[in-house]
Amino acid sequence: MSSADGETLPGVPSVGRDEFDAMVDAETTDPREELADVDADTDLGIEMAEDAKRVARGDLSGDEYWAKHDAAAAAEFGDDYRETPNPAVDAGDQTVSTEAAESMQCTVGSMDTVAAESVGTGDGEGGIGAGDEKWGMVIDLQKCVGCDSCTVACKAENRTPPGVSYNVVMEEEHGEFPNTTRTNVPKPCMQCENPPCVQVCPVSATYKMDDGVVNIDYDRCIGCRYCMIACPYGARYFDFGENYDDEVDEAGEITSPEYGVDRGKREENKSPIGNVRKCSFCTHRLERGEEPACVETCVGDARNMGDLDDPDSEVAAMADSSRAFQLKEDEGTDPNVYYLK
Amino acid sequence: MATESSGFEFEFDPGFESDRLRIAWYAFIGVLLAGGAVAAYIRLTEGMASTNLTSIVPWGSWVAFYIYFVGLSAGAFLVSTMANVFEIEGMHRIDRDALFAAIISMVVALLFVWIDLGRMDRMYFPFIWRQLTSALSWEVHAYVAYIGILVTELYFSMRIDLARVAERASGLRERFYTVLTLGRDDTGEASQAFDRRWLKRAGILGIPLAIFTVHGGTGVLFAVSKARPYWNSGLFPVIFVISALLSGTALVMMIYVLRTKLFDGDSVDPELLDRLAQLLIGFIIIDAALTAIEAFIPLASLHPHEIETWQVIMYGPMSWSFWWFMVGLSWVFPMVLLSKKSWRRTPSVMVLAGLSVVIGIIAVRFNIVIPAQILPVMEGLPHGSYFPTLVEWGSSIGIMAVGLLLYTLGAETLPLTPLGGDHE
Repeated sequence: MSSADGETLPGVPSVGRDEFDAMVDAETTDPREELADVDADTDLGIEMAEDAKRVARGDLSGDEYWAKHDAAAAAEFGDDYRETPNPAVDAGDQTVSTEAAESMQCTVGSMDTVAAESVGTGDGEGGIGAGDEKWGMVIDLQKCVGCDSCTVACKAENRTPPGVSYNVVMEEEHGEFPNTTRTNVPKPCMQCENPPCVQVCPVSATYKMDDGVVNIDYDRCIGCRYCMIACPYGARYFDFGENYDDEVDEAGEITSPEYGVDRGKREENKSPIGNVRKCSFCTHRLERGEEPACVETCVGDARNMGDLDDPDSEVAAMADSSRAFQLKEDEGTDPNVYYLK
Repeated sequence: MATESSGFEFEFDPGFESDRLRIAWYAFIGVLLAGGAVAAYIRLTEGMASTNLTSIVPWGSWVAFYIYFVGLSAGAFLVSTMANVFEIEGMHRIDRDALFAAIISMVVALLFVWIDLGRMDRMYFPFIWRQLTSALSWEVHAYVAYIGILVTELYFSMRIDLARVAERASGLRERFYTVLTLGRDDTGEASQAFDRRWLKRAGILGIPLAIFTVHGGTGVLFAVSKARPYWNSGLFPVIFVISALLSGTALVMMIYVLRTKLFDGDSVDPELLDRLAQLLIGFIIIDAALTAIEAFIPLASLHPHEIETWQVIMYGPMSWSFWWFMVGLSWVFPMVLLSKKSWRRTPSVMVLAGLSVVIGIIAVRFNIVIPAQILPVMEGLPHGSYFPTLVEWGSSIGIMAVGLLLYTLGAETLPLTPLGGDHE
């Protein structure tokens, strides 16, 4: 059936809106069934959800919504509710007025401030990298299709300059047509247990953190590049100060808070320019409870991140399997990045 | 400027014999310095992007020149110990020449380390933070201790002549030389014996420092890199020391002839020249033989990475530096010049031989630093390639010009030749 106003475009299937909506409805799970699995009150959940839809449609104001549900939510969720910040007051276009926000029983504050407070203080001591985990990565080479999206995701996440790429995929073709094979080996920093780079740094600017990640202190690195010479994996890159200014407007406006340090804008003569850089296992994301960008983005789910010290973790089981191996095992570096053949 | 005095007669007239040569020489240094200043300015404003270095080849010409000048210094110093520690007859004449050249070489070497740092503003950090397992951390401290030894030695070697000169000078000149004696202006026998004793002590301390830490240690700095099989050998630091002795002896021989001719206006002692030349023959043979062993062992091991690196050196795009400079200029050509006794006693031929070695060893240093970085550390990573930019060449020449200037100023003012001929 064609749409009523006859705006059919050539080459575009003529499907009406109603059909789409019907498809969505068919896919939607029954809320009552879904909430039955949760401890919290099913009726309250459905009622709040229906009202939230009204707020979205504009039938109900944010203030009215919270006046109606604040007390019930506080009674149902207790401390969990009171300690959770209300995201509605985050932005300038907030849906809740300041007065209404102040009268509510839950914590009121922007998510950013709450997130900033919790980062690094989670363990109560030590700051970045002080976790009990031993972070490890397992890359399943059977699942890797060589799409390089890990490399792209890494560049986007860490905002690395030209010539610096914390993750690369080593791609090689073997054999002659028609008997050819292709191996793709994604290569981040191995976060070695015995890192040669740490051994050679004359100023101890690169060192191993408690959580197994090899850190670089950009405020201490003198840029002698001895670590790059010592690394058997070619995982380290020198920041020559180049920028993507020609490709992207204001490319240096934002930098990634590598190793938990926010350095603001990328500027000339400011670290990490003139320093050596490398993959940090996205420490800043790990600290927030997120996976590294390359792991999250991997289309084939080939990359896995977890705690190698936890015997129940998936990565520990995979790293222990007969398929597992490390790069250059005879170097004695004992990488915390494992591959599955 | 001949000066009469009771009991001791000497002539002290340092500096160029010919004023025209002096002007030409300083003008030459001035041109080099000006070019170097432009290159250094670009280096400072554009940062490391002004080099041809990459993340694949992170060490280039500045590192090569750095180890070259450390070697030149260690070699020259070890030649000086033949006079002041081992007391080989007739060598006293070149004692101060060798020590002063060693000091200047070290200054030049450290300037190369400095310009090579990605963060030049943090050059003092290695003295604040250390790493016990880092060869480079140890090296930085060894260099400072070594410069201390060199300056101490030069002081004890030269003090009595500084005092003698101060005694007969007046005004500013007197003040200048008195300050350099550090107030010890006694020219008597007892003070001379004291100086000689302490000179020897400092030299004895300096020998292991120069061999094992300063230059051997610089070799260790490379040899510990297991990731680079070409460097990762026990013989490597030994060859470092031998090639240092080779270049240092050649430098001292060259300086001896040139300074005697152009500054002192004396005739060169053919016996001393012959002795230095024979020393040079010995070092060339040892250096070539050890390098052959160092090439043979990895080639015989059939380790693909090592074989490929040697192929890059011998047949790669930069193989001309191996054959013409390393083999030709530092071994074959000087060996030909040193082969005849009459040539070994001809100053001009020996200057040519010395110059040939001194230039040839530069290629040795480049062939140490660069080829090991051409082959990727892992299969699948790209190959490196490197040739210095104009900025790198220019700044390198500028830094060397600083060394030439410092050396010339020193040679024009200090009593580098023992006063009263071979009196000492």
